[in-house]
Amino acid sequence: MIIRLEKTIPLPMVELDTSESEIWEADFFVFKQGFSYLVEAESGKGKTSLLSMLFGLRKDYHGEIYLDQNNIRNNTASDWSKLRKNQFSYIFQGLELFDDLSALENIMLKNRITTHKSNKEIFQMAHMLNVGDFLHKQCRILSFGQKQRIAIIRALCQPFNFLLADECFSHIDSRHSEMALELILSECKANNAGLILTSLGSQNMKLDQRVKL
Amino acid sequence: MKFLYKILWKDQSRSHLLWAVVGTMVGFVLLLSGIQFYDQIRNILESNEDLLDPEYIIINKKVNIGQTLGLGSSGFSESEISDIESQSFANKVAPFISNNFPISAYTQSKQFSNFYTELFFEAVPDEFIDVKSDEWGWQEDKEFIPVILPQDYLNLYNFGFSQSQGLPKIPKEMIGLLRFQVKLKGINENQTYPGKIIGFSNRINSILVPYDFLNWANEQYGYLEKSDPSRIILVANDPTDPEIVQYIDQNGYDTIREKLKSSRLNIILKFVLSFLVLIAGIIIGLAFLIFLLSLQLMISRSADKIRRLSKMGFHPHEISRPYITVLLGLLIFVTTSSLVITALLSRKFSETAEKTWYLETNQSLSPELYLVALGLVLILFMLNTLAILISTHRLCSKG
Repeated sequence: MIIRLEKTIPLPMVELDTSESEIWEADFFVFKQGFSYLVEAESGKGKTSLLSMLFGLRKDYHGEIYLDQNNIRNNTASDWSKLRKNQFSYIFQGLELFDDLSALENIMLKNRITTHKSNKEIFQMAHMLNVGDFLHKQCRILSFGQKQRIAIIRALCQPFNFLLADECFSHIDSRHSEMALELILSECKANNAGLILTSLGSQNMKLDQRVKL
Repeated sequence: MKFLYKILWKDQSRSHLLWAVVGTMVGFVLLLSGIQFYDQIRNILESNEDLLDPEYIIINKKVNIGQTLGLGSSGFSESEISDIESQSFANKVAPFISNNFPISAYTQSKQFSNFYTELFFEAVPDEFIDVKSDEWGWQEDKEFIPVILPQDYLNLYNFGFSQSQGLPKIPKEMIGLLRFQVKLKGINENQTYPGKIIGFSNRINSILVPYDFLNWANEQYGYLEKSDPSRIILVANDPTDPEIVQYIDQNGYDTIREKLKSSRLNIILKFVLSFLVLIAGIIIGLAFLIFLLSLQLMISRSADKIRRLSKMGFHPHEISRPYITVLLGLLIFVTTSSLVITALLSRKFSETAEKTWYLETNQSLSPELYLVALGLVLILFMLNTLAILISTHRLCSKG
């Protein structure tokens, strides 16, 4: 699967200076399945906008975005729900966890749609990221860093062609960040998926391609 | 998925849903019992025909001394009939027809031996007759002539004649067993048929035989000169219309005024019941709005969660399912309980009617009631489901 952006720019960015960006206003930009991309930019340069547009959450942009041959503007609600179940996974900057459910229930809510992972695998991932002991706690009482790791695990509990990760290590210490990135990369490899990871640019991550936004 | 319920059902206030349920139930009970009571009351009225169908008015010409002396006709001419037909108050009009040949009747049974009388028959089209019986009607091979007598005749016989003559009283139900012979006397031939009284009419004060029979018999045996019909039966659009009385007076006709009065009771009854049904309709409409608004409120309270679920890949239909399930459950509850309540009320009404007014009513719910309830619930369910689907779709596609 290939994501192809053609002269794409979110409407709120039109009047800003985007001359340094490799994506906004470029004639075209392509994300390929199987490769990992680190999208770096300062705050307010449209990192979240980019991922939201790819995920169908925002439609206020100039230019076009194609998934293979299909312009995603034409996607219906059903199309998006199918894409989000099987082809796109997203680690949200705002996490989007349900506070009323336990950490494990949050993960199971996603996993049950496709039963992608076994319970054992979920527990293994949780232990790897050092949140295994919090799985049965209500999400409400977890720290943001713990929630962030839960959100990462949840995003891995579905098949995907692309994983969109929006500043997913912002509240995790460097040791756990490295472990989390390792986990993410190995899952991407297992799915033969592309990774689009946004970052403020302070972290040193070894991904296939760095893109300045 | 139980997680979906947990997520969407959390922090919802249930009280407004409860009010929606109560409101719908009140409306349903009012509507259903309105229909049920109308059904029961109509059953009562059917055995008291004059209350139910006062729209039927029988008009005759006043008998005056001139007619006695043979001057002027006591019958309605064709132009007079068509004039009545053209009046705005008249819905349907039919003249009585009578026999053009002599008729006599006699009995041969043990109790009523050698009872003999000269007789007359009259007939009106079947739609004007208040006695409904399978035995009514006429084909040439029918083994007896069905006859309807006025209810007053039976009363006269039972309470006056039989006592004074030492004859047995006859209950209404037993009258069918009484057989008599009817002799039709044509100019060349006489024919005897068995006759059978199949009912008593409150509406028409005459000895009635089927319309088809009298037409056939007149052709077969009739030889007297055809006279104009002396009575007219008409169905009035509105029997309380003062024009009717005015018209009757102006043309020197006559009718039984008492009947015109009793018709008002029926009008009031119909008015009260349609008012009840109207109120019930309004309540159901309001309850429907509460349902709609409650569900919309629940959905908009969970708007954030619904968007979140949509981001996780849930289809709007999957997200709507918990709401639709709750709606379905509530509506089933409302329908069943209002049917039960209506049945209880109906039984109570029947018991009271029996004790205080000695009236027999049927206690069971009429089948139309189930249809009405089912139809209403289906409409409520479909409209609400549609509203739920529209709002979840809107929330999901906004992102």
